[in-house]
Amino acid sequence: MNQDPFEKDPLLKQKLDEYHVEVPDFPDKPSPWERFIRLLGSPAKDPLENMVTTTNGFLLLKVIPLTATIIIGLIQALLFL
Amino acid sequence: MMEREDEWMLAFQKGEEGALDRVYLLMKPSIYTFIYRYTRDEQLSIDIVQDTFEKLQNYKQDFDPQKGKLKSYLFQMAYRIMITKLNRRKKWRSLLPFLAPLEKEDYHHEDRMTIRDAITKLPDKHRAVILLFYYHDMSQEEIGEILNIPSGTVKSRLHHAIKRLKEELGVDYYESRSL
Repeated sequence: MNQDPFEKDPLLKQKLDEYHVEVPDFPDKPSPWERFIRLLGSPAKDPLENMVTTTNGFLLLKVIPLTATIIIGLIQALLFL
Repeated sequence: MMEREDEWMLAFQKGEEGALDRVYLLMKPSIYTFIYRYTRDEQLSIDIVQDTFEKLQNYKQDFDPQKGKLKSYLFQMAYRIMITKLNRRKKWRSLLPFLAPLEKEDYHHEDRMTIRDAITKLPDKHRAVILLFYYHDMSQEEIGEILNIPSGTVKSRLHHAIKRLKEELGVDYYESRSL
């Protein structure tokens, strides 16, 4: 570049210089196994979060499995008794 | 004049043992800092640096010092790997949003925006240009080569990035007050 575009902006230059990055120690070879374990262990959003936060949703979460169990139980009773 | 990393790369191409380690030691910090400032994701940056060097090792004969410096070559490779990974991540997150990892809240909640936040807020295409130009002393031509865009586009993106950074940081305001 013919002219330094930051020449007229010493304050911006100063700000940019404040951005330091620490380089961690890591090997040059990737480990696929480590990456896989990290992927499994990384925290993810709770898909039922919206339901758990409301009383109705929470109740629904408790009622649905109970109802399903009763229905399956009844079907089995009708079929085998 | 040939840079040190270029000489080690040539030695590596000729089969000299330990030459790649030298290249790694010389180039790892600058590639890591570029990727980290772009993504603000430490683990992703480590993965990209490792993938870049793995690719360099696998295709070591592809590097031609007549065509350009090793620094530009590695930055181009790392940039492409990063864009591929980011696109893939975006795609997965749109397909399976509930499996997306939680974003780390790394912002500094202060009244004034920090330079980190201001750079992160820049559009992707502007961010890459300012990072390469300011922190890695690259010329317009080198940046154009890495990002696969014409030099004129680099100049215009740099201009817009500087303008946007000054707005975000309120630099214009402070400079005009100090006059």
